[in-house]
Amino acid sequence: MIFYPKLVDSYFLHLTVATFLAMIMASSWDILARTGQVSVGQAGLFGIGAYTAALLYQKVHLPPVLGMLAGAILAMIVAIFLGYLTLRLRGIYFAITTIAFAEALSVIWLMTPGVTGGAMGVSTPPLFNGNREHAYYLILIILALVIFVVWLIESSRLNFAFTAIRENEEVANVMGINPTRYKVLAFMISAFFTGFAGGFYSHYNTYIIPYEVFGLGISIACLVMPIFGGLYTIAGPIIGTILIKSIEEYLRVTFSYGHQIAYGLILVVVVLFMPEGLLGLWKKKIFPLFVRVRQ
Amino acid sequence: MENIFLLQVKKLTKHFGGLAAVQNVSFEIRRGEIVSLIGPNGAGKTTIFNLISGVYAPDSGEILLDNENLVGRRPFEVCQKGIGRTFQIMQPFPHMTVLENVMTSGLFGRVPKISMRQAKEETMELCQLVGLGDKQKAFPRNLTVADQKRIEIARALAVKPKLLLLDEVMSGLTPTETGEAIKLVRRLRENGTAIFLIEHVMKVVMGISDRVIVLHHGEKIAEGTSTEVANDPKVIQAYLGEHIDESEEASC
Amino acid sequence: MDWASFLQSLANGILIAGLYAAVTLGLTLVLGVMGIVNFAHGELVMLGAYSTFWLFTLLGIDPMLSIPMSGLILFFIGLPIYRFTIRPILKDPPLNQLLLTLGISIFLQNLAMILWKADSRAVITSYSGMSLHLGMVHVGLTRLVTFLIAVTLTIFLVLFLYKARPGRAMRAVSENNTASWLIGINVQKTYLLAFGVASGLAGASGALVSTIMYTFPMVGFKLSLKAFCILILGGLGNIPGALFGSLILGLTESFVGTYVPEGSGWAEGISFMLIMVILIIKPTGLAGTRRE
Repeated sequence: MIFYPKLVDSYFLHLTVATFLAMIMASSWDILARTGQVSVGQAGLFGIGAYTAALLYQKVHLPPVLGMLAGAILAMIVAIFLGYLTLRLRGIYFAITTIAFAEALSVIWLMTPGVTGGAMGVSTPPLFNGNREHAYYLILIILALVIFVVWLIESSRLNFAFTAIRENEEVANVMGINPTRYKVLAFMISAFFTGFAGGFYSHYNTYIIPYEVFGLGISIACLVMPIFGGLYTIAGPIIGTILIKSIEEYLRVTFSYGHQIAYGLILVVVVLFMPEGLLGLWKKKIFPLFVRVRQ
Repeated sequence: MENIFLLQVKKLTKHFGGLAAVQNVSFEIRRGEIVSLIGPNGAGKTTIFNLISGVYAPDSGEILLDNENLVGRRPFEVCQKGIGRTFQIMQPFPHMTVLENVMTSGLFGRVPKISMRQAKEETMELCQLVGLGDKQKAFPRNLTVADQKRIEIARALAVKPKLLLLDEVMSGLTPTETGEAIKLVRRLRENGTAIFLIEHVMKVVMGISDRVIVLHHGEKIAEGTSTEVANDPKVIQAYLGEHIDESEEASC
Repeated sequence: MDWASFLQSLANGILIAGLYAAVTLGLTLVLGVMGIVNFAHGELVMLGAYSTFWLFTLLGIDPMLSIPMSGLILFFIGLPIYRFTIRPILKDPPLNQLLLTLGISIFLQNLAMILWKADSRAVITSYSGMSLHLGMVHVGLTRLVTFLIAVTLTIFLVLFLYKARPGRAMRAVSENNTASWLIGINVQKTYLLAFGVASGLAGASGALVSTIMYTFPMVGFKLSLKAFCILILGGLGNIPGALFGSLILGLTESFVGTYVPEGSGWAEGISFMLIMVILIIKPTGLAGTRRE
């Protein structure tokens, strides 16, 4: 992992950085999903992170990494407010609200060009002066951090709370778990890393526009990867991301638009045929084959 | 100053739409008492449980636990104040083992919070107590009805409640299992827990209750010892009014 | 008080509400009959819009005439969608249903992008620019006709649900599934037909959309959100609620567009803000009917 950048060329390094970024977003989404809440509006938090970093750089020349941190914190604060207001909602309504949230932000951004740069977007100079290796290490550290946080959650009592809320919120409530508090906590953690990812993206990409960073595509990407790989696990979002990014890269060179068609297809196929994702498929269907063969 | 009454319910009323599910119901439960709540189907018994545990908010009336008002508190707060309950339709968490199901209660229902290690130890003891000692690593879907009921009870007990609400835990059990359940309830009472049961199995009700409260169409129509209640003409009338005889049917 | 602007806003609001209502009808039908929120409904509308566009561009068929054609095309597209993707998940938890219909939505959006590129298409007929003058108010001819057709569609739907046998079956099923089955209604066929009709309505309203707005792959998504807003405003799964909600949304957008500085940009965001505000205040939606 550490020597990887020395071994590959610029294109693959870039691909890896993009993939790591996606893993961060996928794992973050999964954190909230563990409480049974499906967010289809992660782009809202991603965009907040992206613009915080970009605008802070533009106005006060805040160093990029600090800008990303600021973006993460702001996204987290927004999530706390939004969470307390909306996490009482049932699954579908919460999902719709998150979509509305991201779209509302997009409109607000377009209508306030003086502050936000509007439709023209905001640009920043290349991250680390274009040194992709440094970018790689930064994103690797953050990814490791996310995975560590998820592992912490899984080994603590939070795992019990999240799972209980997800499986039966009413019963969890009667057993002493305050559902809203834990859902907001999950949302906060998820938002922090998604916001950071946004901040990273804005500097790495050097140019952001509302249509893109608040766009549905980002929200969908965040959820397809963990669903494909296997929800509520550490490995699921990671595996799902690797596979999807590979598919996407192939499709991107074939069609310039519309490569997310694979996302739609995958969602449909997963819900119909493999609701537990690839990991579930492996555990239930494929791994047992090996066991039987050995016997 | 400690009240002799652990739970006081005063003039509790709850409507759903235009229908009164619970009307003007008042009663008390003392520490260490075993009280049964009986009544024909639809009498409002589970609604009372839901009102006490905070799942529903009453339209009017008071609920006091150790003189503290519970009305307006959310279910998790009520739980942390010392009330544990089971559900009539068993709802264990499907993706957790028995041990994990019970640990969840222990970790969140107790105030002050206990450590994971302590929760695990207490849970293992509890599983032994209710008879799930060798099934701790199993998943609820692979267990029998009786065992799933044990999970429900263990979960309710894990919060170390002052008052335990048991919703029809005896239905569907074999005579042996019923006997074990009765022994368990008595042992719990010896430990100081007050127990409020909704039951249809009359043998159990008559056998273990200190007192019986009878509900019909959302109103309390009788209260007293099992014998008093069994001979109360209003109670007999209420049950005869139903076409199915509950007490015969429940033991199948 | 500038009556002219006020009346103009009012008129525009009512006219666009008609279109929104037409778009929401199918969504309401599916929600009411089978309890599923179809996230892909907007994409069916989008396909209807494209179908009208191509019928017009390639075959010269007037958009108003192609309304029933687009409706029919989408009816037949809806049937297999129901059979192969919706029917299997009827009893699944709502989140699965959400993800599935979301997946269909994404699939169709991107399919449209691949097939027809992201460019905005416009259906311009000889009468596109015409408007009528009613007193102080200018009413675009296309908008007016669209409104009238939307009203007609609504009336047809209501007649269908109350007078036609399959329609009455749909109402019965939406109220009580088991009882309907017991009295001999083929619940599965009713669901299938309901989804088909809803898709047909989507197609027809898509045809209307193509005459008033630009047609592009994401147009369905934008309309979906407005439709959700309307559902939340008006109560879920019932038609009068959908009409009421459409009126509120249409009028609000119109008045914001006129009276708020740079309002036309902000008006686009009204539906999102309404969604958030309403759900935050009343988590079960304005009319409060929770469909279990």
